[in-house]
Amino acid sequence: MSLEAAGFWGLALVLLASSLAVVLSKNLFHSVLYLALALVATAGVFLLLHAEFLAAVQILLYAGGVITIVVFAIVVTERLVGERLNQTNRGVAAGGLVSLAVLIAIGLFVMRAPLPHAAPPVAGDLTEAIGRNLLTRYVLPFELLAVVFLAALLGALFFARKEE
Amino acid sequence: MIRHVITAFVLLNAIVLIVTYLTYVERKFAARMQSRIGPYRVGRPHGWLQPIADALKLLIKEDIVPALADRPVYNLAPIVFLIPSFLIFATVPFAPGLGLADLNIGLLFFLAVSSLEIVGLFMGGWGSNNKYALLSAMRAVNQIISYEVPFVLTALIPVLLAGSLKLSLIVEAQRGLWFVAYPVIGQLAFVMFLLATIASENRVPFDILEAESELVAGFRVEYSGMKFALIQLAEYTHMFGVSCLGALLFLGGWLGPGLPGPVWFLLKALFIFLLVTWVRWSFVRIRVDQILGLSWKVLLPATLALLMATGFWVALRSGHVA
Repeated sequence: MSLEAAGFWGLALVLLASSLAVVLSKNLFHSVLYLALALVATAGVFLLLHAEFLAAVQILLYAGGVITIVVFAIVVTERLVGERLNQTNRGVAAGGLVSLAVLIAIGLFVMRAPLPHAAPPVAGDLTEAIGRNLLTRYVLPFELLAVVFLAALLGALFFARKEE
Repeated sequence: MIRHVITAFVLLNAIVLIVTYLTYVERKFAARMQSRIGPYRVGRPHGWLQPIADALKLLIKEDIVPALADRPVYNLAPIVFLIPSFLIFATVPFAPGLGLADLNIGLLFFLAVSSLEIVGLFMGGWGSNNKYALLSAMRAVNQIISYEVPFVLTALIPVLLAGSLKLSLIVEAQRGLWFVAYPVIGQLAFVMFLLATIASENRVPFDILEAESELVAGFRVEYSGMKFALIQLAEYTHMFGVSCLGALLFLGGWLGPGLPGPVWFLLKALFIFLLVTWVRWSFVRIRVDQILGLSWKVLLPATLALLMATGFWVALRSGHVA
């Protein structure tokens, strides 16, 4: 087995185990920590695919940013306000059904898609290519995303403002 | 492969040694500022063995775990806190070709990995099951969310000027003129970078998360012995890492006349470290709302405006704007 394959299977194992732990852990805070591990492992998969930029962004935004905010929410509600957050509920059957449907849908797509057997050759500096394409070819979706974020920001402000 | 392992091993040990002595430098520096002598008794001359004695003392201290602590989280926290602070050195070039991995996305890697530190900090604050620790972790999250943005934005200004995220190329771009010497833009960016640096290092005047007078020692209040030592080591390593980043981004890294490159680089990093230390021992702690207000109302708009201005300037100079 090549080093790359070993790395992939190792990461896959960590990724699967930590993702399962996110759902199965009874302690909400532990779930978040497992989620952080899963997100870092995802960045590792990106690294194996030579997508360094994506890996770094994944860590910066998800493992660094999103996790921080989730933790913030948990602490404010569970420790400081003292409200117990429920980790489980009774809808196991419905949840299982939905998960199964999603699994089948994704599985079908993956089976149909032609998968390359080797990584495509990388030409030049990927980071530069990403930047160039974001501001030329894909500038419209890029700017639209910015508008969506702005709307989300305004929405948050609306909910957070003081009642008059 | 073997070469990389050896380089990494040497680098790690060198950093631990440097960081151990940074604590000594800081104590001596602070003592001078306050007309004291500082550590003097252990080792001649000037108590130079003090950091070693401290490390040995912490090694043999009793390890206490609070009864109600969340054990796995509590025990893992110092390690999770330590790893990113060492990992950031992976992309730091100490001189041309002297570094572990000079990635194309060097700066981004640095920022991404250092943002992971908050996870370890929070694990410590939560896992201790202590009110002071938890409050401190909360404040840390507040502060880090607020200062991450201006920190990244100021770090982007040298990137714009150099046209690359690769740290060695950023240094090479300063061959003619260090970025800190660029008229107006350079000085403003450097000051903002220093502010964001101090905030990200949680030092006075931004040290609300340890605030001795109200929170005892913040998130590490329950830690003792070697775990406490690991947390201290991680904090100082992070400070040293950010000082190195400042030297690379604004002070021209290894560039300089006469002395060999790595010496220049370390001197510049030390200069930034001492600058921050100077601020630390000169000012008082400011309130939480002042800290957040400074970040969101002053620093964020200012860095954004400066980034825009730098962008225009770079575009004008390269002739893309008529």
